[in-house]
Amino acid sequence: MERARRGQGQLEGQVLGALREAEGPVTAAWVQERLGGDLAYTTVVTILTRLLAKDVVARERQGRSFLWTPTADVARLAALRMRRLLDGERDREAVLASFVTALPPGDEQVLRALLEAAGPGRVNTGSAPPADHGGTED
Amino acid sequence: MGVFVLLPLVLPLTAWPVARLAEGRLHPRTATRLLTAMAVVMAGCSTLCLALLMVVGTAQLPGNPLPDGWSDPEVRAAVPHDEVAGRAAIPALAAVAVLSGRTLRRHRRVTRLARRALTGLPGREVSVLPDSAPYAYALPDRIVVTTALLRGLTPGERRALFAHERAHLVARHHRHLLAVHLAARANPFLRPLRTAVVYTAERWADEAAARAVGDRRTVARAIGKAALLSRGTPAPTLAALAATGPVPRRVAALLGPAPVTRSWPATFTAAGLAVWGAAAGTLVSAMSSANSAVTLFLILSAATPL
Repeated sequence: MERARRGQGQLEGQVLGALREAEGPVTAAWVQERLGGDLAYTTVVTILTRLLAKDVVARERQGRSFLWTPTADVARLAALRMRRLLDGERDREAVLASFVTALPPGDEQVLRALLEAAGPGRVNTGSAPPADHGGTED
Repeated sequence: MGVFVLLPLVLPLTAWPVARLAEGRLHPRTATRLLTAMAVVMAGCSTLCLALLMVVGTAQLPGNPLPDGWSDPEVRAAVPHDEVAGRAAIPALAAVAVLSGRTLRRHRRVTRLARRALTGLPGREVSVLPDSAPYAYALPDRIVVTTALLRGLTPGERRALFAHERAHLVARHHRHLLAVHLAARANPFLRPLRTAVVYTAERWADEAAARAVGDRRTVARAIGKAALLSRGTPAPTLAALAATGPVPRRVAALLGPAPVTRSWPATFTAAGLAVWGAAAGTLVSAMSSANSAVTLFLILSAATPL
């Protein structure tokens, strides 16, 4: 189970990496060949579908199969995985211990006053960070 | 051994005043090391004494796998309220084992998942992730920062952020943090030490960053901005730049003068009281559990024909 999960994380990166080396939209069979044929065709399709759900690849229908294109790079995929880990842990953290929390409202006032007093360099930060999972920057 | 076997269980109560004093008066590096060492020794002694109580108090209960000789009247006479204490020690020990195991597993799992999430990225020490959520933290061997956070900081403040996180890696702060988290599981009276070390480890990294950047205000501003932008961190054992602990206190400390590093503070200052209080409490705790362990060993070897 553990090994299988690790494999999936690495495979997602490999499949995305292979897609990004392609000249244009390619089939799952092309990806399978590109990865050296170690993976079963169905495995490649499963991973591509998972990447599609994460919105890092796109597909278009061609005849009876799909053509796949990358829409994000490996760093974006890592960011998504990291965010999922953070969000999952935050939920558990709420049950287990409360001290890993965002700045309490009172602290925010104090902090802004302190930074104000600290002198040059304006502190221009919005209030709440965006909670959505979209918005690829760069 | 008498009452000495109970002493290490309650001596961690001294942690509270010592933590308060050390946190405010000692150099963060000294405070982190002192409080971590104190927590580890006290947790070890407290667990050892729980085990001793359990052995003596329960060796004669029916169906017990321990040799009856271990619960010789002479042995039991050495433990105050041996039966009650012995029976109470069983669930206490079990709770310590379960909670420590859970903490350890969570630490490992989060570290493993984070490492796995970052596979395939270039760069060995710093990973910059394209993400709209601003956060930064230090894994045991890697720094992770998002583009959203970097964009909110000036170049000087970014240097401060990297210097802070690098200080966590260089000083292996995750070990200190894991140690105090486990200690707090072993004896709840050690919780003030956990809170204090989480804070002083961050302060230590802040001061290291201030030295590296050469400007305390820049570090203060970096922390302040990051805290205003940031979300929480995955687990308390992963040291974060912001949002683990009272951020305003860290900023205020950086806006004040740099803490002095003295080898040994004078006894009758607050810092001296912290150091010597910690040393005395830890020593008494260690000595009483050693006393109890040796006494029990002697009695047992006399009572059990081996």
